[in-house]
Amino acid sequence: MAAAAPARAATLADRAIVAAGEAGGALILGLFLLAEDWRLITAVLVLCGAGFALLELRPAIEERIVAAFRRAPATALVLGAAIVLAYPFGMQGNSYALHLLVIALLYAVLALALNFQLGSANIPNFATGASYGIGAYASALLALEFGVSFWLTLPVAAAVATVFGFLLGFPSMRTRDTYLALVTIAFGIVVHQLLNNFDWTGGPNGLVGIPAPSILGHSFARPIVILGQRVPAQANFYYLALALVALAILAARRLHNSRVGLAWNALRGDELAARCQGIDVVWYKMLAFAVDAFLAAFAGSVYAAYVSYISPDNFTFLVSVTIMTMVIVGGMDNSFGVIVGAFLLTLLPEKLRIFSDYRLLFVGVVVILFLVLRPQGLFPQRPRSYGAS
Amino acid sequence: MDALVLQYVMNWLVLGCIYALVALGFSLLFGVLNVIHFSHGDVVIVAPFVVLAVLQGLVAAMPAATAGALALALAAAILAVGILGVIADWLVIRRFRRAPAMMALVATVALGTVVRELIRMFYPQGSNPKPFPRLIEAQVALGGVTVPVFSLLAIAVSVAMMGLLFAMMRFTPLGLRIRAVAEDRATARLMAIRPGRIFAATFFVASAVGAIGAILFASYAGAVRFDFGIQLGLIGFSGAVIGGLGSMLGAILGSLLIAGIDVLVQATMAEGASYRLVFAFLLVILVLVLKPSGLLGRPAIEKV
Repeated sequence: MAAAAPARAATLADRAIVAAGEAGGALILGLFLLAEDWRLITAVLVLCGAGFALLELRPAIEERIVAAFRRAPATALVLGAAIVLAYPFGMQGNSYALHLLVIALLYAVLALALNFQLGSANIPNFATGASYGIGAYASALLALEFGVSFWLTLPVAAAVATVFGFLLGFPSMRTRDTYLALVTIAFGIVVHQLLNNFDWTGGPNGLVGIPAPSILGHSFARPIVILGQRVPAQANFYYLALALVALAILAARRLHNSRVGLAWNALRGDELAARCQGIDVVWYKMLAFAVDAFLAAFAGSVYAAYVSYISPDNFTFLVSVTIMTMVIVGGMDNSFGVIVGAFLLTLLPEKLRIFSDYRLLFVGVVVILFLVLRPQGLFPQRPRSYGAS
Repeated sequence: MDALVLQYVMNWLVLGCIYALVALGFSLLFGVLNVIHFSHGDVVIVAPFVVLAVLQGLVAAMPAATAGALALALAAAILAVGILGVIADWLVIRRFRRAPAMMALVATVALGTVVRELIRMFYPQGSNPKPFPRLIEAQVALGGVTVPVFSLLAIAVSVAMMGLLFAMMRFTPLGLRIRAVAEDRATARLMAIRPGRIFAATFFVASAVGAIGAILFASYAGAVRFDFGIQLGLIGFSGAVIGGLGSMLGAILGSLLIAGIDVLVQATMAEGASYRLVFAFLLVILVLVLKPSGLLGRPAIEKV
C-alpha cells in the first residue's frame, strides 16, 4: 500500500483525530441501530446530514481527517479492528440490531464487488443481484441435495457464479454504455425468472431448511459465550460476514494498486486511449465481471446459510439496483464510501419502518437528495497517492 | 385454427403497439437529452389511475353520460401524465444534465420508487390491483372471424399516434427545434432556441404518448396495479434499446420484436406464460450480441 510510507510521522493530533473519527462513527451507528424512538432516529439522521453539509462547505476539514488517517494507518487499523470485533458485545443482546448488521455487511460485500466494475472501470452492471442469487442457490442446493459442508460450498458456489460472470462479460466485447447496461438487466431478469420457474430450484417457494454451518463443533445456530458474556447466534454470522468484508477490502486494495486496477482506471478514463496503450480492453472488462460475480457469490452463500431460506424474490432486478445505488451514493471507487453507502441504504429502510407506509417513499427521496446535494457520492474517490501525501 | 392464428396475430400487434408507445418515449428522450429516464414506466402508469379516478368522480356526479365521461377521463389522464413528466424533469432529472450517465440513471430509478409509492399511498387501497374496463366491449366479424373492436382500436390509435409523432418531428417548428437541440445543444442556443423549453416539451410529448400506451396496456390486461410500471418500463426500454436508441423507427421495430416473441412463446409452449420474460430477455441479449448498437442504431465510431 503506497500510503503505508508516510511523508511525515503521525503526530498525537493525527492519532486523536483517527480515534475520535472511529469512535464517533461506531457510536453514531450504535445509536442509530438501537434507537426505537422516531425522534432519536430523526435527530441522528439530521446530525449526519449536518456533518456532510459541513464537509461540503469546508473541504479543509475533510482533507485534515483524510491526512490523519493516511499518516497513522497502524493506529487506524488496530483501533478499527478492536471496535468492529467488540461491536456485537455492545449491542446489549439485541438480536434485531445484530441481524441488521449482518445484512448490512453482506450488502457491503456486494457493493464492494460491484465497485470493481462500476467504480474502477465504469462498466454498468445490473446483474450483481443475479450473481448473488446464483451463489446462494448453488451453495444451498449443494448443502441440501448432497449434504456438502458449508465451507466446501463456498468456493464451489463462487466458481459457478464466476463462470456465469465470464459468460455475462462475453457481450461486453462489443456492446457499451446503455446497451451493455441493458444486457446485464436482461441477464438478471432471465436468471430471476429461471429460478422462479425451474422445479429443482423450488420455483417461487424457493429452498427451505438450509443448514447452518459449524466450525470446530460450534454450530452457527448457537449463541456465542465468551467470558460469561453471551451474544445471540447472529453474532456468528456477523463475524463471518465481517471476514468477508475484510477479504473484499483487501482484494480491493491489492487490485487497486496492481496493474489490473490501473488498467481498469485507464478504461474508465478513455477506452480508446487505453487500447492504444496496449491494454487488452476485452480481457480486463471480462475480468471485472468475473471478480464481481466471485465476491457476490460469497455473499450469496453466507446469506443462504444465515437465513436458511431463499426464494427468487431475494434476487430481483430491484436488488441489483439497490446495490448500484449503494455504490453511487457512497462514492465510486472508494471502498470506505461504498461500505458507508451499503450501511446507509440497508439500515435506512429498516429504521424508517416507524414511518410504516411511507418508508420506501422516504428512501427514494433521501437517495435523490443525496445525489443532488453531494453528486460525487458521500466519500468521493481520491487521487492515487504514491508515497507522497 | 385460422381463427386462433388471427387472434395471436392480433395480440401480437396490440402488445407490440403498446410497447412501442412506451419505447418511443425512451428513444425520444435519449435522442434529445442523452438521458435514460428510468422512471418513464412508473410515470406513464399513473395514467390509468387518473382515468379510474376521474371516471369514478364523473359517474358519481352524473350517472348518464358514460361515453362523454370516458373521453374526458382519457383526455385528463393524458394531459396530467404529460405534465407529470415535465415536473419529473423539473424536480429531478434537470439536475443531472452535466453528471455522468449512471448518476441520472440511479436518480431516475429512485424517482420511479417515489412515483410508485405515491400511487400506492394516495390511491384508495393502492396496493391492490384495480380492475380496468375495456374501452370498447364490442366484437366485430372480420373475414368470418370475430375480433374484439378494442384490438382494432388499440392498433389504430397507436399507428395514428406514431404517425402524428413522426409528422410533428418532421414538419412542425417544435419538431425542428427538438431535432436541432438533439443534434447540437450549443449551436441550437445560438439559433435562439431555448434548450430548457425544448426539454420540457420533449418530456411532455414523451410522457403523453407513453400515457396512451399505459392506458391501452391496462385496458388490454383488464387491471392495473401500482407496480405494473416496472415491467412496462423495462420492456419499453428494451424495445427502444434493441431498436437502436434515438431511432423512432427502431423503437417500433424493437417493440414489435419483443411482443412477437412474447406472444409466440405463449402460443407454442405448454408453460409459455411463465417463460415469456425469459425468452423476451434472451432475445434482447441475442440482438445486442449480434448488433451491439441496436437494429437501426448508428454504430458508435470514435474518432481521436
